[in-house]
Amino acid sequence: MLALLLAEAPALPLDEAGKYVAGAYIVFVVLLVVYVAIMAAKLGRIEKELREVASFAEAKANPGMPGRQAEGMPGRDPAQPATGSDRDLTPSEAVGGPAAPARGERDV
Amino acid sequence: MYGKGLKPLSIATVAMLVVALSLVFFYAPLDADQGFIQKIFYIHVPLATVALIGFIVGGLFAIAHLRTGNSSWDAYSYVSIHISVIFGVAVLITGAIWAKASWGHWWVWNEPTLVSFLIVFLLYCTYYPFRYAIEDREQQARYASVFAVTAGAFVPLNFLAVRMAQSLVHPRVFATSNGGLPGSMMLTFLCCLAAVALLWTTLVKFELAAKSASGQVKRLRRAIGAPGSGSTSRIAPEVS
Repeated sequence: MLALLLAEAPALPLDEAGKYVAGAYIVFVVLLVVYVAIMAAKLGRIEKELREVASFAEAKANPGMPGRQAEGMPGRDPAQPATGSDRDLTPSEAVGGPAAPARGERDV
Repeated sequence: MYGKGLKPLSIATVAMLVVALSLVFFYAPLDADQGFIQKIFYIHVPLATVALIGFIVGGLFAIAHLRTGNSSWDAYSYVSIHISVIFGVAVLITGAIWAKASWGHWWVWNEPTLVSFLIVFLLYCTYYPFRYAIEDREQQARYASVFAVTAGAFVPLNFLAVRMAQSLVHPRVFATSNGGLPGSMMLTFLCCLAAVALLWTTLVKFELAAKSASGQVKRLRRAIGAPGSGSTSRIAPEVS
């Protein structure tokens, strides 16, 4: 398919024009990549903030215990599915979506 | 909510960009007058068209904000203008490259199309400091909307004025009585226009989704009284 396409394509002239055309398209791609990189940094910052808020909420719910340590609370069987406030948020919940049903729970 | 449909839209955008670029380099014939340099046209003109339409769309969203007072419209207006300004940067750079290759100069000050686009671009560049200068969020949104409506109305007027002006050097490829683009070039151009329009829509949705996520985190911070909950962005509208 690509070979057919290339056979039909006009030959790209390697004269003066080529570098200007390449330059114009590279500018477009570079701007796009820079934009995506900035957005990626922003999303990273949001994720970090969300983690801080989650830690704060966990620490508030379990006073006297640092946020992330709440997961290893005594009395909780790691084999059992986490319920309520002692489990991690699903990606859907993290962005404000509905909570995923816990293992074994089904809508009737 | 803002991220809804972002995945299929992104896939459609990438597919359309691939199709458009394939048509540019493997289907569209070489221009008899400009030769290979004319390939810049397929990225430069769609970017300029979409950027200008994006400014007008920003103005329309601003009208909706002023009519309803709903801050979501202000966010739409802000993001539309923001993405159009980024496209504007690409238009100015690709245009300068084309001018250098075609006319031997990076910039020609007596060419109305170039100068008018620069004026529109600089006008919208003042949107950010204008917005940033106002502290009260409601007042900021209202004034920014008035700016977006006024500037949005200026864009088509400016375009018409330039079209009516007699240009000596800038190529006119549409609306000529005889000539214009041949079918294969027109098809390629329309595909490029669709691809760039899709890209603009995707980036607007992407930016809105990111702002929405940031707004939700701030709301959550405020709700649970987490430290740093008092800090808000002054320049960008907060999307909830």
